[in-house]
Amino acid sequence: MSHFSRNAGPATASILLALAGMMLGGCVTQRVENVRETATGIEEGEGVVIMAKSYHLGNETEANFIACVGDSVGRGASGLRVVPNNEFVDALFPWFEPRTAPAETKGLPALMSRPGVAEKIRETGVRYIVWLDGDTDKVAGGGSMSCAAGPGGGGCFGFAWWQNDANYQASVWDLTGLEDAGTVSADVSGTSFLPAIVIPIPLIARARAKACNALADQLKLFIVSEDPV
Amino acid sequence: MSSRTTAALLLTLVLAFAGCGGANVKLHDPTIPEPLIDQMPLHVAARYPEVFDHFVHEEEIIGKESWTIDLGRSNKLLFTQLFGSMFTEFTVIEGDMDARDLDIDALIEPSIDAFEFSVPAQSQTEDFAVWIRYRIKIYDKEGVQIANWPIAAYGKSLATTFGSDEALQRAAILAMRDAAALIILQMDKATGISKLSEARAKSEPDVPQPLNLQTTAAEDMRDESL
Repeated sequence: MSHFSRNAGPATASILLALAGMMLGGCVTQRVENVRETATGIEEGEGVVIMAKSYHLGNETEANFIACVGDSVGRGASGLRVVPNNEFVDALFPWFEPRTAPAETKGLPALMSRPGVAEKIRETGVRYIVWLDGDTDKVAGGGSMSCAAGPGGGGCFGFAWWQNDANYQASVWDLTGLEDAGTVSADVSGTSFLPAIVIPIPLIARARAKACNALADQLKLFIVSEDPV
Repeated sequence: MSSRTTAALLLTLVLAFAGCGGANVKLHDPTIPEPLIDQMPLHVAARYPEVFDHFVHEEEIIGKESWTIDLGRSNKLLFTQLFGSMFTEFTVIEGDMDARDLDIDALIEPSIDAFEFSVPAQSQTEDFAVWIRYRIKIYDKEGVQIANWPIAAYGKSLATTFGSDEALQRAAILAMRDAAALIILQMDKATGISKLSEARAKSEPDVPQPLNLQTTAAEDMRDESL
């Protein structure tokens, strides 16, 4: 027992330091904007579906970002009803596949006139389609760190940093009027640091997670608000 | 650092590098959803090549890793489900059966011209991508080829979102769905298959005949065509 305690001491301290570092986080700046084209609003029973713009159009939005926005839009007291996008895409197969999904709202009337499409959309209760575009990129980085391990122990020494930019845009389509309701965008820049004196302490800036929450919060406000700006 | 911690660190490194050596990926009979389309009023049969019962493709990155994807009978399932949804009557026939013996408007023979995929180590991106080039040959009821249509389908999935195996599986499934969407969208335009129902309508007599006579006439017509 005492042997375990002697070894666990520094390890526990390392874990605590690492956790503290993670909690402190790096530096993050964010900008959220929206441009409204028409009045919005949502009735009981109506919902939204969060989709990624097609990769045929060069979009690289990560599937876990889409899932994150979907979860966040549906969460909380002001949460909206979010229809899972895979259910929506399957229910409307093949009209929302990457190759066939409409790229602009002017394609909506033709889509709605296809057999069964308008009925199926009504069945799902989807009032708004939110098309996400964008991604998170590492735009800069530097520093150096070296680590060594041997039978007697190991450790790291140095300092590294990197900057991630998360730029996402959400286009909101209103399926009632078959029109573009507007766009919401979130640009988040986060710089993470990794100082190490024996133990590396990550100070991580979660740019993507911040962008997800900021975009989702703004989307909820944008859709629920009825007044045109 | 204790020897236990060092051992754990080394084990982690070994496991991390073991994950970089490629993989064998298998598709477990994926299906496509029921398409929202109007069926074409045609009686169609399909004949599949043997490779549709068990399709395996290997991609080797020289000096790095080897990836294998086993589609099993996914292609057979895909086309059976797809054509079953597109046409009012659909039958799958065996390889040795003469389609001219059947009362059909068209025989479809899909095949795979090429299957390729790329993994992140090749593309220097985080994507797994799959390309499938199918070829669809269509014959009328007399065995005359009326279309030879190549289709290029594509699917892409991020390795960072899913694990490597799952990302490749997903890219393959997306490519197959892409092929299905393309066939639904463009088949008639590219092959003119719906004209075969017009041809049948024209060949049918306007005045209804007594049942036994009509059957005989139809059988006679088929025999003549052979």
